Amino acid sequence: MNSTLPSGPAVRIEGLDKYYGSFHALRKINLSVERGEKIVICGPSGSGKSTLIRCVNRLEQHNGGRITVLGTELNDDVGNIDGIRREVGMVFQHFNLFPHMTVLENCMIAPMIVRKRPRAEAETTARRFLEKVRIPEQAMKFPGQLSGGQQQRVAIARALCMQPQIMLFDEPTSALDPEMIAEVLDVMVTLASEGMTMICVTHEMGFARRAADRVIFMDGGEIVEQAPPEEFFTSSRNERTRQFLSQVLGH
Amino acid sequence: MVSLLRNQKVRNALLQVLYVGSLAGMVLACVMIARRNLAEQGITSGFDFLFKSTGWDVNFSLLPATANDPYWWYFLIGIVNTLFLGSTGLILATIVGTIVGLARTSSNELARLLGRTYVDIFRNIPLILQVFFWYAVITHLPTPRAAHEAFGILLSSRGLYVPIPNVGGVAFAAAAIALIAAIALPVWLGRTSRLNQPVGERLGIQLTGAAAALACAVVILAVGRLPDLALLDFPALQGLNIKGGLRIPPEFSALAVAIAIYGGSYIAEIVRGGFKAVGKGQMEAAQSLGLSPWRVFTLVRLPLALRAMLPILANQYVWLMKATTMGIAVGFTDFFMIVALTINHSGQTLEAIGILMAGFLAINLSLAAVFNRINKAIALKGNQLRG
Ligand SMILES: Nc1ncnc2c1ncn2[C@@H]1O[C@H](COP(=O)(O)OP(=O)(O)OP(=O)(O)O)[C@@H](O)[C@H]1O
Ligand SMILES: [Mg+2]
Repeated sequence: MNSTLPSGPAVRIEGLDKYYGSFHALRKINLSVERGEKIVICGPSGSGKSTLIRCVNRLEQHNGGRITVLGTELNDDVGNIDGIRREVGMVFQHFNLFPHMTVLENCMIAPMIVRKRPRAEAETTARRFLEKVRIPEQAMKFPGQLSGGQQQRVAIARALCMQPQIMLFDEPTSALDPEMIAEVLDVMVTLASEGMTMICVTHEMGFARRAADRVIFMDGGEIVEQAPPEEFFTSSRNERTRQFLSQVLGH
Repeated sequence: MVSLLRNQKVRNALLQVLYVGSLAGMVLACVMIARRNLAEQGITSGFDFLFKSTGWDVNFSLLPATANDPYWWYFLIGIVNTLFLGSTGLILATIVGTIVGLARTSSNELARLLGRTYVDIFRNIPLILQVFFWYAVITHLPTPRAAHEAFGILLSSRGLYVPIPNVGGVAFAAAAIALIAAIALPVWLGRTSRLNQPVGERLGIQLTGAAAALACAVVILAVGRLPDLALLDFPALQGLNIKGGLRIPPEFSALAVAIAIYGGSYIAEIVRGGFKAVGKGQMEAAQSLGLSPWRVFTLVRLPLALRAMLPILANQYVWLMKATTMGIAVGFTDFFMIVALTINHSGQTLEAIGILMAGFLAINLSLAAVFNRINKAIALKGNQLRG
């Protein structure tokens, strides 16, 4: 699948600025994500993590700088936006499943309408990915009938059914009870091991250790520090990073 | 015994029995007192009057009516008129309410302002004043000789005249159903769960469906056509008045417009509330999957908003249905007015009011039942608070 694509990084962000009114939420962000790379973004609440990844699929509109996704620049061109959203899947903190559709329909709707797949094919794909997130038996249930962990796995399957090349995760486990976090992280680790390009906002440092190629620390709308996980956790030079780490790691 | 009284189920049952018992007692007492009073006045009670002819005319009826017709037929006319006014008013109010409600949720500031102004004005003027206002406006339209004309429709102070097809009643109804099917079929076929075809390749099937339903309508009209008459009966000026077509009297138009505008202002608020209740998250998820704004609206936003609106909308409909009794204020022969006239002419007050109450109860309970069924059928399954 990846062989037919133009070369270059999966996501390139250059001098990104984002304002909410007069509030400067992202300040001159530079970030390049290679194909197949797994990035974990962490940082205190309000530091702009969500805003950053939401800019990548244009759920937020940036005010300055350039974002290029898979060689296509994100600008006001609706065709570009549609094309990028087709290739970029997103998983949200609160799952955001469609409550009026069954699990299967949640997974089939976008492939059928956006990718124009026949129903039978969309269903086969959907069942395959439900199998992958280990809930094939829940296909005919409605989201409201599932546990939080199961709902989040459906949300991952729904995004995967579009067969995206990049996956964005915005705190996928922070709304879950502790015993459900593992089941969602397991799915994410599997996905990472299969070579998916992933940008994950999460405070699960265990996941960062197991799966990430690079950990990014944000504060005040800026990228303060970035490093491979081991280096990040053991030999961070930055005062703010160390303070944050001591909070999330609990020592 | 004491422990039995503390059982919740037993308690509830006892309360029910007490309630129904005292209600029945009250009704019985009222009936007995009324019978004695009526007997003293020499009025016979009972429903025999239903089969006597009325001796008076109605100004508007969808069913054939003469002064020789019996009371029961007049009651039927009244119910049909009420249903006609009610359904026209409800449909128009829903259209107005949807447009205004959507304007109120739009991102355009001017649209929001207009929507708000509309709601503020029309929700705060009593319905009866609005009925009188529109009645005054309509009766001050030009006389029939100077009537406004468009597409064979004539509008004058005497009423709105619309062309009607010269076909039998049954064929007319069947053709109407076929026409509705012509609109509904493509929509139904377009639902993602129907066919194996990719959504983009269904246009042909949808168009075929619509064409087939349209052809049915044409055939039904051709077969059911009354002999020796033009297919459409157009209203036209003859002497001082307009002949032909269906005359919709000013009373009806005033009521329908008033209910549409007044009801629309309430429905607009319900529509707005429904759309506001849809989580931003679901729409963002739909966007992030690459669905177009139109698909996000039709597949996610609208279905979820409808589910939030429907229970409240049902109440509003029942309420607007009752508002059709305003007909008596301008002299439209709805069910309520027929009952009032019956009381005047026959003196059978209790019986007529009983029929009135039973009639409205039946109409509104059926309306509520239909909506309950729909609500149940589309209710979201499971616990919605979790995420
Ligand atoms: N729609 C908005 N309007 C105005 N300000 C906003 C909006 N969204 C976010 N912000 C502000 O932008 C800043 C960054 O928000 P963002 O949601 O990206 O933070 P975050 O790092 O994801 O925090 P958290 O860990 O709490 O999710 C915050 O100060 C927030 O108050
Ligand atoms: Mg966030």
